[in-house]
Amino acid sequence: MARENLVSRTRKVGLGLAGAAIALCVWQAIGMRLGDALFAPPSSVIVQFMPQLLDGSAIDALAGSLRQMVIGFAFAYAIGAPVGIVMARSPLIDAIVHPWLNMAVVTSIAALVPFFILILGTGFWFRVAVVFIATIWFVMLTVYQGARGIEPRWLEVGRAFGARADQRFWKVMVPALFPYLFTAARIGLTHAIRAMVLAEMFVIVGYGALLHNAGLGISTAPLLGLILLLMALGVIVNGLLVGASRMLAPWYEERARA
Amino acid sequence: MRARIGNRPVYAASILLGLACWELIARDLPRVILPPPSVVLVRLVTDSLSGLLLVALAKALPAMLIGSGLALAIGIPLGLLLGRSATLSAMFDPVINAVYAVPPVAFVPFFIVWFGLYLWARVALIFLMSIFEIIIAVETGVRDVRPQLIDVGRAFGAGGTTLAWKVLAPAISPFIFLAVRIGIVRGINAMITAELFFAAVNLGFLMNDDARRFDTSGVLSIIVLLALLGLVAQEALKWAEARALPWHVRTS
Repeated sequence: MARENLVSRTRKVGLGLAGAAIALCVWQAIGMRLGDALFAPPSSVIVQFMPQLLDGSAIDALAGSLRQMVIGFAFAYAIGAPVGIVMARSPLIDAIVHPWLNMAVVTSIAALVPFFILILGTGFWFRVAVVFIATIWFVMLTVYQGARGIEPRWLEVGRAFGARADQRFWKVMVPALFPYLFTAARIGLTHAIRAMVLAEMFVIVGYGALLHNAGLGISTAPLLGLILLLMALGVIVNGLLVGASRMLAPWYEERARA
Repeated sequence: MRARIGNRPVYAASILLGLACWELIARDLPRVILPPPSVVLVRLVTDSLSGLLLVALAKALPAMLIGSGLALAIGIPLGLLLGRSATLSAMFDPVINAVYAVPPVAFVPFFIVWFGLYLWARVALIFLMSIFEIIIAVETGVRDVRPQLIDVGRAFGAGGTTLAWKVLAPAISPFIFLAVRIGIVRGINAMITAELFFAAVNLGFLMNDDARRFDTSGVLSIIVLLALLGLVAQEALKWAEARALPWHVRTS
C-alpha cells in the first residue's frame, strides 16, 4: 500500500513537472511571436525582472503590503472562526447571521472600495478594512461547514465521560475542527491577498503601485515578473499551510484534502 | 427542508433587526459617513424609477454576458476533461492552481496593454475572474461521479452513447448548474470590478461620480443593487436547478 502510494506520488510529481514544462514552452513560443511589448516570453522576464528582484525593491514593496494584509487577515480570522463555530452549534445564531453571510458572499469587494475610501480615506486602515471585509465571510463559512460536520456522538462521549463544556470545546471540538481551521486560513489568505492587491491597485500604493507602473512600461516583462512573484507568494502560502496541517494533525490528512 | 421553512421568519427578523440597528446608529452620524438604510432605499427606488440605475445596468450587462459566456463555454469542457482524465489533471492541476493563486486585478495593467480601456478589457477581466472557479468546480464534481454508476450502466448493457446520455449526463448536470451559478455570480462581481478598474463607465462611473461628490447614499444604493442582483441570480438558479434536477436536491 505504502509502496503503491509512493509510486503514484512520484508519477504525479513527474506529470506535474511535465505540465509546467509544457505551459512554459507554450508561453515561450507565443511570447516570442508576439514580442516583449505584448506578451514577453519567460526568457525576457528572467532577464528584465532579475535586477528588480535582486536589488530587493519588489520584495520590499511586497513585504510592506503584506504587513497590512496580515493585520486585516488576523482580525478577520479572530472574529470569523469563532462566529463560524457558534453558528454551527446554535440554530438561532445561525438563522441570525446566515442571511447576512449569504448577502456578503455575493457582494463585490471592488464595489465596496469607493465606500471605504469615503469613510476611511486611502491610508492604512482603508487597506486593512478591505482585507478584513473580503476575508471574514469565507473564514466564517469554512469553519461553519466544518463545525457542522462534527459527529454529535463525539461530543456525547465527552459528556458521558464527564467532560466540562470548556473541556469538550478544547479537547473534542477543536481537534475535530483542525483541518477546517487550516482550510479556512488557506481560503482566507487567498482572499486576503486578492483584496490587498485590489485595494492597492485602486489607490496606487505599495505593490499595487509597482504593478500599475509596470503596466505603463514599454515591455511587459517586468509586469509579468511581478505577477509571477504574486503567484509564488500564493503557492508558498498554500503549501506552508497544507504542510503545517499535515504535521500538526496527521490523523486528518484525508479530510483536509477533501 | 422543514428546518429551512422554520427558519424563514428568523431570517426575516434578522434582516429587519440589522436594518433597525443600522437606522438607529446612522441617525446620530453625519450622512457622509453612514446614511440610514431608509435614505439608501429611497435613493435606490428613485434612481431606479428615473431610469438612471437601470440604464447603467443594462449597459453593463453585455460585457458580463460575453465574459461569463466565454468562461462557461471554455471552462465546462476543460473541467469535464480534467475531471475524467487522471493523467491530464495530474499534469495541469498545478499550473491551474498557480495561475488561480494570482489576484485577477493584478492582470489589469496587462489587459490595458492588450485590450485598451473599454468593452473587451472588461470582458477579459470578467472571463479571468470566473473561468478558474468554473474549471475547478466542474473538475471536482465530475471526479466524484461514483464509478459504480458507470459499472451498473455497463452491466445493464449500456454502450457509449447510452452511457453518456443516460448515466453520465444526469450525474454531471448538477455540476454544470453549479458552474453556471458560479459563472453568473462571479460575473456580476467581476462586472463592477472591471467598470471601476478600467475606464469608469456605467455603474462604475455612477459610483465614482457619487464618491467624488461625497454622496455616500448614492454609493451604497449601487452596492445594494448589485448585492440584490447577485442574490436574486443565485436563488433563481438554485430554484431552476431544483426544478430541472429533482433527483439531486442540495442540502446546503
